[in-house]
Amino acid sequence: MIVFENVTKTYDPDVVGLQDFTCHIGKGEFVFLVGASGSGKSTLIKLVLKELEPTEGRILVAGRNLGTLPQRKVPLLRRNIGCVFQDFKLLPNKTVYENVAYALEVVGEPRRMIRRKVPEILNLVGLGEKTNSLPHEISGGEQQRVSVARAFVNHPPLLLADEPTGNIDPETAVGIMQLLVRINRTGTTVVIATHDREMVNRMRRRVLQLDAGRLVRDERRGSYDQTPDDLEEGV
Amino acid sequence: MRLGFFLREALGSLRRNWVMTMAAVITVFISTVILGSVLVMGENLDRGATSLENRVMIEVFIKDDATPQEQKAFQQKVLAMSQVKEVNFVSKEEALDRFRETVGDYITKNLATNPLPASFEVYVKDADQVDAVAALFYDEPIVSHTPGTQDGVQYAAKTVRRMLRTIDLIRWGMWGATALFAAAAILLISTTVRLSIFARRREVEIMRLVGATNWFIRWPFVIEGFAAGLIGAIIGALSVYLVNWAVADWLKNSVDYLDAYVYPLWWQGDTWPLGLLPTLALLGGVLGAAGGLVALRRYLRT
Ligand SMILES: Nc1ncnc2c1ncn2[C@@H]1O[C@H](COP(=O)(O)OP(=O)(O)O)[C@@H](O)[C@H]1O
Ligand SMILES: [Mg+2]
Repeated sequence: MIVFENVTKTYDPDVVGLQDFTCHIGKGEFVFLVGASGSGKSTLIKLVLKELEPTEGRILVAGRNLGTLPQRKVPLLRRNIGCVFQDFKLLPNKTVYENVAYALEVVGEPRRMIRRKVPEILNLVGLGEKTNSLPHEISGGEQQRVSVARAFVNHPPLLLADEPTGNIDPETAVGIMQLLVRINRTGTTVVIATHDREMVNRMRRRVLQLDAGRLVRDERRGSYDQTPDDLEEGV
Repeated sequence: MRLGFFLREALGSLRRNWVMTMAAVITVFISTVILGSVLVMGENLDRGATSLENRVMIEVFIKDDATPQEQKAFQQKVLAMSQVKEVNFVSKEEALDRFRETVGDYITKNLATNPLPASFEVYVKDADQVDAVAALFYDEPIVSHTPGTQDGVQYAAKTVRRMLRTIDLIRWGMWGATALFAAAAILLISTTVRLSIFARRREVEIMRLVGATNWFIRWPFVIEGFAAGLIGAIIGALSVYLVNWAVADWLKNSVDYLDAYVYPLWWQGDTWPLGLLPTLALLGGVLGAAGGLVALRRYLRT
């Protein structure tokens, strides 16, 4: 699904975002991206969305080389990637319903289908009652669920989440994480950048750890921190 | 294109961002009032100049003893001149009638004979040619000069030409001012739109992340700009028309010799003038839409 080959991203004055990063994320995987603040997690996600261009190296998403993907095709790429962010990124003047519907309007979905799909997905994330609320009228956890609903309403093959639980309380965070797991079960590849230690430790999924832009660990059933256990396992 | 969706988006955000909407409407309003005033004043000056030029007339006084054949021949000859537009014959009787109209019966009643000569009124096509045309008449045998003078040929060239030159000057000055104001208006409009889009750049960023194409993002903004421009321009056109009409009305009732032209509000069926409302509304709409496009440009750069 995602292939990084020796990717380096440096910001203007020699600030390293990502350094010689190579990895392969397969279809249907569920991957945690961990590392201290500033280690390059967001940079990686922005590269996949072609919000940034790598300084060096090659990135493939769903078999397509982003380096040769023309700018006018970028919207198409993004329609196939659902995105969830720490700050939710909801359109502030649109209701919950309209925010989710926007992702469908963008792809030219017929009105009839929009009317069917939006309530369906809102029920799935447990927001059936709040369809006509504005983002500022609902809690952070609820806003994040709207954002998950918007990311998934198109059933994209890939879903990226950048610190999705960073701004919400731990209990609500569990709910969000469960949603992401359910989405993953439908076959969607899910990549989550996080520094929520407890969550990562509880889930025991594949963990990629970054440090100053470098990949320092890639474990199949990893925890947040590198433990002696893992070393013994020799992964 | 999903017209319904874009229209709803545009109207919704016009309502939500009503302060910005007001600013844009007022900006376009001011711009169209300036432009509309220039149109109205320009048209009035044009018409004033034309009517002045039409009044550039050479009076050629005829000897009393000229025969009708001689008069006829002269008239034909003048009419054949390429610079001449029109020739009217004013007989001695008509001249006396006119004189009576201006000074009253009192003087003319006591005249034994009609002392006024017959004349030709010669209108030239181009006011600049009066001197040249008049010069052709001085030596005509039919023309009646007081001995020792050339007073048989008369025209008010100097005054008229000075007025025409003044009108030309005003007209140039006006176009200069218009260019200046137009530049100011464009600056004002683009600033307004840029402000409004700056406030919404986060929205634009989110739309892009969700996979909206540039045109999907642009259309609502373009429609918004167009609508705001249209509203401002319509109010502007109506205001200019009302003021134009009021001034013309006042002139008609208070100053006899000055008539102002009321620029039509709507298209009259001929090609010119186009009418204030269609001209300005189109301009305002296009200006608003263009403002939206231009201001969005930097946020849609990839
Ligand atoms: N737009 C930017 N301009 C310059 N430096 C940046 C920019 N974005 C991120 N960086 C730098 O790149 C490094 C990696 O940042 P980031 O990918 O945001 O890390 P993380 O998401 O893991 O906290 C940091 O040192 C950060 O300061
Ligand atoms: Mg980050």
